[in-house]
Amino acid sequence: MMPWPSWQGRIARRSIASRLLVATLVIVIVGLPLAGFLLSHHYRESATQAFDDRLEALLNVVIAGVAFDRVEQRLIFDRDLGDPRFDQVYSGWYWQMTDGQQHTLTSRSLWDQRLPTHDGNTLIARTVNGPRASSLRLVERDIQLAPLEQPLHISVAAEDQALMDNVRQFQQWLWGGLAGLGTLLLTVLALQIRWGLAPLRRMRANLREVENGEAKQLDTRLPDELAGLATTMNAVLARDQRLIERGRHAAGNLAHALKTPLSVMRLLARQAPAEQQSAWEAELTRIDNAVRHHLARASAAGEGGRVAPVSLNEALAPLINGLARLAQRRDIHLEHTLPRDMQAHMDAQDAQEIVGNILDNALRWAKGEVILTLEAHGEHLQLCVSDDGPGMSPADCQAALQRGKRLDEKRSGSGLGLSIVADLVALYRGDMQLERAALGGLAVTITLPVVVIRRPDRR
Amino acid sequence: MKCLLVEDDQALARELGQALRDGDWLVEHAFNGQEADFLVRTEAYDSLILDVGLPDGDGIRWLAAWREDGIDLPILILTARERWADKAAGFSAGADDYVTKPFESAEVLFRLRALVRRSHGHAHPVLRMGELSLDTHTQHVALAGRPVSLTAQETRLLSYLMHAAPRVVSRTELSEHVYDRDHEPDSNVIDVQVSRLRRKLGAWRIVTQRGQGYRLLAEQPAAG
Repeated sequence: MMPWPSWQGRIARRSIASRLLVATLVIVIVGLPLAGFLLSHHYRESATQAFDDRLEALLNVVIAGVAFDRVEQRLIFDRDLGDPRFDQVYSGWYWQMTDGQQHTLTSRSLWDQRLPTHDGNTLIARTVNGPRASSLRLVERDIQLAPLEQPLHISVAAEDQALMDNVRQFQQWLWGGLAGLGTLLLTVLALQIRWGLAPLRRMRANLREVENGEAKQLDTRLPDELAGLATTMNAVLARDQRLIERGRHAAGNLAHALKTPLSVMRLLARQAPAEQQSAWEAELTRIDNAVRHHLARASAAGEGGRVAPVSLNEALAPLINGLARLAQRRDIHLEHTLPRDMQAHMDAQDAQEIVGNILDNALRWAKGEVILTLEAHGEHLQLCVSDDGPGMSPADCQAALQRGKRLDEKRSGSGLGLSIVADLVALYRGDMQLERAALGGLAVTITLPVVVIRRPDRR
Repeated sequence: MKCLLVEDDQALARELGQALRDGDWLVEHAFNGQEADFLVRTEAYDSLILDVGLPDGDGIRWLAAWREDGIDLPILILTARERWADKAAGFSAGADDYVTKPFESAEVLFRLRALVRRSHGHAHPVLRMGELSLDTHTQHVALAGRPVSLTAQETRLLSYLMHAAPRVVSRTELSEHVYDRDHEPDSNVIDVQVSRLRRKLGAWRIVTQRGQGYRLLAEQPAAG
């Protein structure tokens, strides 16, 4: 008995377009024919009623004009009904009076034919077969006319061809109209789906832009129903952003607050007995590593998705210029090639963190030469930094890419810098390679899938 | 060599100051930017260590102001900030090098010595004047490859003369850079220490330029 939830689920997931379609189809397939049927039925009824009323009026005139001639022992009728068709043979308009035995009088139009009669003294309206297989509408009433013993059946009949034609014509108009209405409804529905749901589609595209980081927040210039939604969504996004910022700040403040005491403890450790010094050093280093590692993680924007594109040149130029000055003072030649205009889906701070840490590491070990290159290969950003320092063994390269490992215990933070970079690179789903540089030292190559590819404008 | 340490944290100032003194530096403290600004503009220092997080304004602002006014002494910044953008701002404002907290004293001394050496135009860590050599990192003095035993004060004096060479160094300059402000010597003390150096290194190496000061020579001048 499990199909229920999935069935209900399927209904709940039905698109709005198909919901509207189903509702409209119910109207078009069930509602319109039902309305048509009812309208046509009532029209036929009331048209027949009007026809019968007219016949009844004629019947009353006929009744008023009938008399019995006792002398000649026959029925006489001397009234003019005002319609010549009663005198034209088989014109379709007839009257007849008969007592069912020897006395019968008819309109000339009936000629030698007779209308069927029916016993009963109330007014009866019915459809009967008339002369020449025509269909007649007939009203009949029985009256007592002295001195006749039998009740006299008086009827007026007329061909209902005109009535039927009238009804048929109405039905043609009606069904034509309803078909038109159905078509109109379906057309309007199509328009509704195209035009009425357009804001929804626009909002979805807008949301995707926010997800890709191309927009900071949703456009609220939307119909009322969606504007509220977009405003709420923006509030949620803004709160998210605030929470992230607050987390970053808290982590930054904590790290900042710990740095100075840690420095003091490092300096104090020098005064410890020699055999304790390395133990102190090791523990302090562990604290420092933990602080730096988690701070780097907390402040990384990362995760591709929601990062707005930045100009890498703008983000990195001050940093690289600053480090180039520093390199110059350390007698190291820092050669760098930056693309003039490259947009990347990266947080500016993350980009600075990656480049800063790698360059810092290279400048720390280099003898006199560091080369930085930054290139775009399709959507991949390739960053390569090599130096002419002592380089690293393959085992050290392996270790450097692992979290928080330190390569050299003598100088602080060198290994950690690289592992922070490795963390950031992983956040951006990139790749990081360490190998021997052509210059002799270490070459760090990082590939990140973050470059914004410019699509040619469609005009 | 004299260093101004600008650091607002008392404990760090005390310990780092001690580490610097252990590394043969004369250290003066400033605990905020204002004080540092005054000292930098009135006293003579060979280097300055600046903590960028100061109570009275960003250290980088003070740094920029000093550079603006043509104060070109080597400046090492201490930064606790992990943001590379901030470090880069420091370099752009004119810092010569940086050390990130928590640092080791060895790294500070290493960077500081390299800065001073380069500010005097020496690229190599070992300064040479003929047969006389001074390893700026270990403060070892050797004459023709043989170590020479000097007191801390004598080493400071020689180190300053060697960094400055071949310039003539006045007594005032020496007293400013080689002696504590609190114990500024009369010129007699300097003369006594110079003559001790002459005894240990050879009298001809340190020439007295009358009315100007002292100058270090690389080669013994031809007799006469």
